[in-house]
Amino acid sequence: MKLFALALTALLPCLAASSDADPGKSMGSPNAPVRIEVFSDFECPACKGLHEQLLPLVMRDYVIPGKVYLVSREFPLPMHQYSREAANYATAAARLGKYQQVADALFLNQFAWEVNGKVWDAVANVLTPVEAKKVQLLAKDPSVMSEVERDVEAGKAASINQTPTMIITRGPKRYPLAGAVNYNLLRSLLDGLLK
Amino acid sequence: MVSSSRVLRAVALALRIALGAVFVYAAWTKLREPWELFAMSIDAYKVLPYWAVLVVARTLPWAEMLIGLALMAGRWLRVSAAAASLLLLVFFGLMVRAYAKGMQIDCGCFGLGDAISARTLVRDGTLLAGSLFLTWMSFPGRRKAE
Repeated sequence: MKLFALALTALLPCLAASSDADPGKSMGSPNAPVRIEVFSDFECPACKGLHEQLLPLVMRDYVIPGKVYLVSREFPLPMHQYSREAANYATAAARLGKYQQVADALFLNQFAWEVNGKVWDAVANVLTPVEAKKVQLLAKDPSVMSEVERDVEAGKAASINQTPTMIITRGPKRYPLAGAVNYNLLRSLLDGLLK
Repeated sequence: MVSSSRVLRAVALALRIALGAVFVYAAWTKLREPWELFAMSIDAYKVLPYWAVLVVARTLPWAEMLIGLALMAGRWLRVSAAAASLLLLVFFGLMVRAYAKGMQIDCGCFGLGDAISARTLVRDGTLLAGSLFLTWMSFPGRRKAE
């Protein structure tokens, strides 16, 4: 988690969006040879595992060295009662450059808010009072809600039916990887694609 | 009037070609992509240790290719049909286990994006039934009985 936060701080100056990626939800250089889009649901346990265990390794080994451009996408599943609300808050926070902090907090406290429904409590903890007010307003903004919906539609168009799903793109090649992934295999795959 | 043994032989021939083509196609979908993708599919079943996942991911597609070509060519029929049946039996068992446990994973049968479902179970079950019939037909005892 700390590594993830440090990496974010280091990368903030070079955050940039590709044509269809939210700059607030993307990390690394958009010119990196490999792009990984992560479709996830804040209420999904496997997504928590991916966010907290695998993505920090990808950040350390590939995003920070400029080899991979990492894009986060929302894919709240209908069976999860609060995941759409969580996605709206996270997307709103991205407008203030606080996506990673809010995503970290949502996954960290997933066990609590998925039961008691107090999604906002997890989000508010990592925001200043001024930011919190802005995020609450932005989360109800039609542009934020439509951005979440665009991610969902993009996922459906890519035939995604479960979370997490990573879509790895290298030139014209696209590889959708669903579910939990062994990091040694992912590393071998990425190294092969980067050759 | 066409005898039943001729019909059975015609069915076996069609099955042999079709099953061989399926095996070749299954091998091709794996060999055309980085081997790690198939390794991830195998790993998702959570039945093999990591070293075995690597071995199977590197060798199974080639075995499928050999079996498929042998079936299509009609060479080493008893061995290739029995090997196809054994493989399909293992695949089907693993898929049923994963489905029963509610694991939402790719079956790994024909590359990525083929999640285990009732449809994939019916498909693989049908292939298994066909392969078992072909194996039965390929043994000498069966041919003598005709």
